[in-house]
Amino acid sequence: MTETVLRVRGITKSFGARAVLRGIDLDAHRGDVIAILGGSGSGKSTFLRCLNLLELPDAGTIEIAGAAAPLVHDTQGRARIADPRALNDLRAKTAMVFQNFNLWTHMTVLDNIVAAPVHVHGVPRAEAADRAQALLEKVGMAGFAAHWPRQLSGGQQQRVAIARALATDPDLMLFDEPTSALDPERVREVLDLMRALADEGRTMLIVTHEMAFARDVSTRVVHVRDGVIESMGPPALMFGADASPVFRAFLSH
Amino acid sequence: MSEELAFLAATALAIVRALPITLVLSLSSAIGASMLAAVLVAAQQTRIGRPLAHVWIFVFRGTPLLLQMFMVYYGVAALGPIRHGVLWPLFRDPLFCAWLALTCCCSAYIAEVLRAALAAVPTGQIEAAKACGMGRGTRVRRVIMPQMLRLALPAYGNELVMLIKSTSLASTITVVDVTGVAQLVIAHSYRTIEVFCLAAAVYLALTAGLTALLRRIERGLAQ
Ligand SMILES: Nc1ncnc2c1ncn2[C@@H]1O[C@H](COP(=O)(O)OP(=O)(O)OP(=O)(O)O)[C@@H](O)[C@H]1O
Ligand SMILES: [Mg+2]
Repeated sequence: MTETVLRVRGITKSFGARAVLRGIDLDAHRGDVIAILGGSGSGKSTFLRCLNLLELPDAGTIEIAGAAAPLVHDTQGRARIADPRALNDLRAKTAMVFQNFNLWTHMTVLDNIVAAPVHVHGVPRAEAADRAQALLEKVGMAGFAAHWPRQLSGGQQQRVAIARALATDPDLMLFDEPTSALDPERVREVLDLMRALADEGRTMLIVTHEMAFARDVSTRVVHVRDGVIESMGPPALMFGADASPVFRAFLSH
Repeated sequence: MSEELAFLAATALAIVRALPITLVLSLSSAIGASMLAAVLVAAQQTRIGRPLAHVWIFVFRGTPLLLQMFMVYYGVAALGPIRHGVLWPLFRDPLFCAWLALTCCCSAYIAEVLRAALAAVPTGQIEAAKACGMGRGTRVRRVIMPQMLRLALPAYGNELVMLIKSTSLASTITVVDVTGVAQLVIAHSYRTIEVFCLAAAVYLALTAGLTALLRRIERGLAQ
């Protein structure tokens, strides 16, 4: 039995009167690559953003590689994080790759990559810079260390963002539609890189609309619908004839 | 003709001698106002500080700087506790009073500039900092402040230009700055136009220098 990296129980989240997440449980083991699929507005992004608490769930528990940041509720039932230190510790075990890259525009490529190791994990700068160079090579961006984000194409920015995410050697990587903002001819280079990460055993949760990628690369497919997990299973099953009719309907339209 | 030249040269010399006063007042007010503005914006982020900062900005942005200077120099001095207190040596000094009024007034404007810049920092930049586990302090230092300063710079530069020009009001409370000297010279010579032109040229040089400096910083930041 492999180590459990992510353990989520009973996540709920409403925006005003609209219940966006209605009770989600999910476990991920080390090396799992979980593709999260579902229609627009089904709550995929909200779920992913609840995991690193960019969005505060109304209820539920999240445990990532042994770290947890329990919620407490005030008298009106509003949730908040009891301990901000625990919140940052939990986030430090994860990394997120955004649809719009979100590289820090006031930092060079190198500074983007060393920021978290240096300022969050206390790694000496020289050591972090060496590792950053190796990561840049890995994502095919060697020689771009001194560039500014705005000098790069979308695909290049996303590959740097992935290098930034890898810089802290995270236990769990969260991807929210990492290729949706890219030109079609740039999608491939990012997907290939993510496939390489999957092959080396990274634990990843990927919200995506790339069905072929989900089918070929993921170890598990999760179908989110109306804020609940409608069905999940290995891709061979989910993309086969025995998948849930609801998921088959989602795939076919 | 040569007498005219000699008059202009003497006037120019007198004005340049007063330049340090204008410079010191500008620089110290710019520093004071900027620091106070930073405090105001920080206060705005807290529940207790928000209304206080709001009132401060409302008052100092909504009343004329000239009146503020009069109130500090003539008004505060009339208060018994100040007049007979330890602060009297400060409030007796018109330069200090001008500095205080400029600092308070400009802090309100600069705070508005900083607040707008803070609101304009893209959420994605801040979320990327949160997502990797940066605490609040680190986020502010490494991401929010640098982004904010870059966004604020053009409008902040404007405020500094306004501040330099506003220092001339200090002459109304007996500070002998560039404008003060010009008025003294006019009082003796009854020559208005050429003296004011010389004084104006000094302000023009100062603001042009500042504008050029800011432009260079902006270009450096833009990359
Ligand atoms: N900050 C917010 N405030 C109010 N409503 C929100 C907020 N964020 C998301 N929502 C709503 O929650 C619902 C789920 O949004 P979410 O972004 O999680 O969907 P999604 O599955 O990621 O969709 P997409 O495929 O379009 O990205 C949507 O109806 C959306 O409008
Ligand atoms: Mg989404």
